Amino acid sequence: MNAAVSPALGAVLRAERHQLNERFATAHVRHPDLDAEAFAEFIRGAIDPLVGAVARTRPERVSHVAVAAYDIALELVGQRLVGRSARTPHVGAAWRRILPEVAPLVAAEPERMIAAVCNASHHLSSTAGTRPRAWIDLMVRLAGQCTDSAMFLTLGQVAAWRAGMAHFRESALAAADKLPESLVVAAIEPPAAGWSQLRDRLMADPWYDPAAPNDISTTPRVVARAGAFRGFGGLFSEPPTVAMADGQLFVRGGSECWLLTADAFGATFHRATQEEFEHARARSALPDGISVRGGTVTIRGCSVSLPSAFGEVTSACASRATLALTSSHTHAILLIAVPVA
Amino acid sequence: MGLRDVFQRVSQSPTNPHAASAPRTFDVADLYRGPVSPADEQSGAAATPLDEKLRQAYFWIVNTAIISPHYDVEFNQGAPQSFVLGDVKSRLTLPSAQSYSSYVLLPLLTFAARRKCLFVGGPGRGKTASAILMGVLSGASVRDVRRAMQHGHPQMTVADLLGNPLPADLVSAQRIEDIRISWRSWLGMRVKIIDEYNRIPTRTQSALLTVMGDNYAEILNHIYECPDSAWFLTANDEQGGGTYQVIEALRDRIDVIVQALAFNPRFLSELLVRIEQSVRPEEVVPRQIIFTEAEVDRVQSEIHGVPLPPEVRRRLEFFASQFEFFEGAAEQFEYKTKDTARLAGVEWAGLTAQDTGRDRLKDLGCQTRNGLSVRVLMTLLVYAKALAYFRGNRIVELDDVRQILPFVLRDKLVPDTDAPFFDAPGNAKYRVDRVGWLRQLFDLSCAEYDRLNLDAEDPVAALAAEFGHGLDGVTRADARARLVKIERLIAEWSKGRKLYGNLYDDLLSLKYMHQRYTNYLRWLETQ
Repeated sequence: MNAAVSPALGAVLRAERHQLNERFATAHVRHPDLDAEAFAEFIRGAIDPLVGAVARTRPERVSHVAVAAYDIALELVGQRLVGRSARTPHVGAAWRRILPEVAPLVAAEPERMIAAVCNASHHLSSTAGTRPRAWIDLMVRLAGQCTDSAMFLTLGQVAAWRAGMAHFRESALAAADKLPESLVVAAIEPPAAGWSQLRDRLMADPWYDPAAPNDISTTPRVVARAGAFRGFGGLFSEPPTVAMADGQLFVRGGSECWLLTADAFGATFHRATQEEFEHARARSALPDGISVRGGTVTIRGCSVSLPSAFGEVTSACASRATLALTSSHTHAILLIAVPVA
Repeated sequence: MGLRDVFQRVSQSPTNPHAASAPRTFDVADLYRGPVSPADEQSGAAATPLDEKLRQAYFWIVNTAIISPHYDVEFNQGAPQSFVLGDVKSRLTLPSAQSYSSYVLLPLLTFAARRKCLFVGGPGRGKTASAILMGVLSGASVRDVRRAMQHGHPQMTVADLLGNPLPADLVSAQRIEDIRISWRSWLGMRVKIIDEYNRIPTRTQSALLTVMGDNYAEILNHIYECPDSAWFLTANDEQGGGTYQVIEALRDRIDVIVQALAFNPRFLSELLVRIEQSVRPEEVVPRQIIFTEAEVDRVQSEIHGVPLPPEVRRRLEFFASQFEFFEGAAEQFEYKTKDTARLAGVEWAGLTAQDTGRDRLKDLGCQTRNGLSVRVLMTLLVYAKALAYFRGNRIVELDDVRQILPFVLRDKLVPDTDAPFFDAPGNAKYRVDRVGWLRQLFDLSCAEYDRLNLDAEDPVAALAAEFGHGLDGVTRADARARLVKIERLIAEWSKGRKLYGNLYDDLLSLKYMHQRYTNYLRWLETQ
């Protein structure tokens, strides 16, 4: 293996040979399927470039980074989260693309930084409806502007929300306040506005998309379709129904219930109980000013035509900013933005 | 990360997920939780709720330390899968909810609630190893735990157990108060282990009884106050036999008995790994599951704070009332108890042979030779709360009581194996299987409770609730009316109803209330 890696990593592998072999043996006890060849491949393809980047900026930290990366890689390859038989491509991609961009930060806190990037990319790739690749792209583009690990981690949180983790909306907005204005604005990509003004808009209207070319937030409109048939990789075995309580949108499909969080950046589902759904259903009357008749929705006098194939509405509920509709013809929940008064 | 780290993995939270209560909140900090745990996160376990920490300790012990494939404390959500196997129709149940191994669960609850647990079972089954693990969980080093463990043996003296007066002081002291005592260090441990307690001579057992019962030791008028602690005792013989018969008072101080079940050879590979890696589980207990003294204080207080709802309490009251009543034991109503018969020393079989007209098969009280003491009932309440707490429940459920009850009553409720119940088809096994018998006994009691519809129709509960509001403001007419209600109820019950344990206790309650109203009325009349 040494012949195929950089001199910097090769030196560490030689110096720590006994210790590293022992760690591999330990990991093999925990993960009997740990593939030595796949692990060696990951060392060459992911650890070596990272160690090379650290060697260029903080050569004195190479050994520390290499050993930390080796330990974490053992766990990830053992769990088949990276490597040739990985269950997802995103954890390996995040490692290879993001970590070398922030080599000085990795050099300072290797365990924390590597774990954070791997855990976050795993979190995104295991949450249906999110865009892990978009998160990686955003982090690659902006991570170089971070001057310390705390800033990097906060940027990652904001970027995760931006990449579709709608359930993190409120806490990501709070976290964004800690970032330099230029960085947060670059992450959200508004046309032109200061952070304070942008933040107020985002707080007030979950369907406000700063990247949209025209501001249409005063008009009711179909903004998203969330969920799909289980046979196509979705969650529902039969067309779902919806209910709302305390501004939280619950969905039942067959015998399973979910909490749906959605905004302009994405929609995510989280396990809920029958009791939560039933509790919500008992309180799900549509508010004044919103009505659904046939294929038309009327919101405070404005009409929105439902898609022709949508079929008869089987359930409807609304929060302050979102109207959710279901039909017996589809496994998706239709979300309509309610203009914020 | 060394070779030993493979034994130090703690189960990820939540170990027993519960339905979230709406509205839910999400924290973006969770983005960085995942398959990789950085070292600083592993050490920062302070924020883990203590019930979660207790469950993590449980799962670490069952998965890593004591290979325990026995899930005999069963919980279900919905109907479990059940299979009947073999010629004698043995039933194997696959529980539909998180279930536990009593051999790990009970010691852990004992540790958390600071009670006393006896491990029983044949040699080499891990009784002592389990007790040592509990000591390590309390934060003591393996070396200290081992050194503090008391090994029962036939020559063990009170001085061996408690300590010695300093020889120099014995010679020079003018007063007994001047003699300094060198107390044994184990007395100050928060987890106390007595290995093979049934090999301790009777006289030394009495000294041990004072420490176990009253939490202090005494030598030459000097007192050592022990800290609150959990106790773990081991014995090869559950019945108190051994080199020396265990004195009854000492056995009575033991709160739960847990049996070391047989090792399943299918798990031999786990033992092989330990030999190959030279690892002893007690030496690699992860620091995340070690409890500080303050944490155990808090756990204990949180356990005591878990509410026991009235509907569960009523079923427990109904169960407990089945056993003490013994109609033929006395003339006066209050003395019609098994304890009266026991104190008289009269032959048991002769007394039980008297015909009272009751159905001896149906009467649960006929299955035992004694009733439940206050100490046992308190222990049962504490362990039921501890189990609910351990499961992450906010209140005690009936299943908590049902599952914990056999381990608390195992040595406390003595079966009358000559009772007709044990001769009934299929019941002979209960002469041997105490846990199964006690669980069956509780199930029968609950079925009877349901048959009597006591949740809806319980006139004594209604009268007690009325009485519970206090006597302030109760007029003479009200008091008289209540007395009449009580008298009418007793008169109604006296019409041809057989007297069972629950009815007996209800009648005593009615007599108590009647007496309080009578005294109150008398007082009113003097005003």
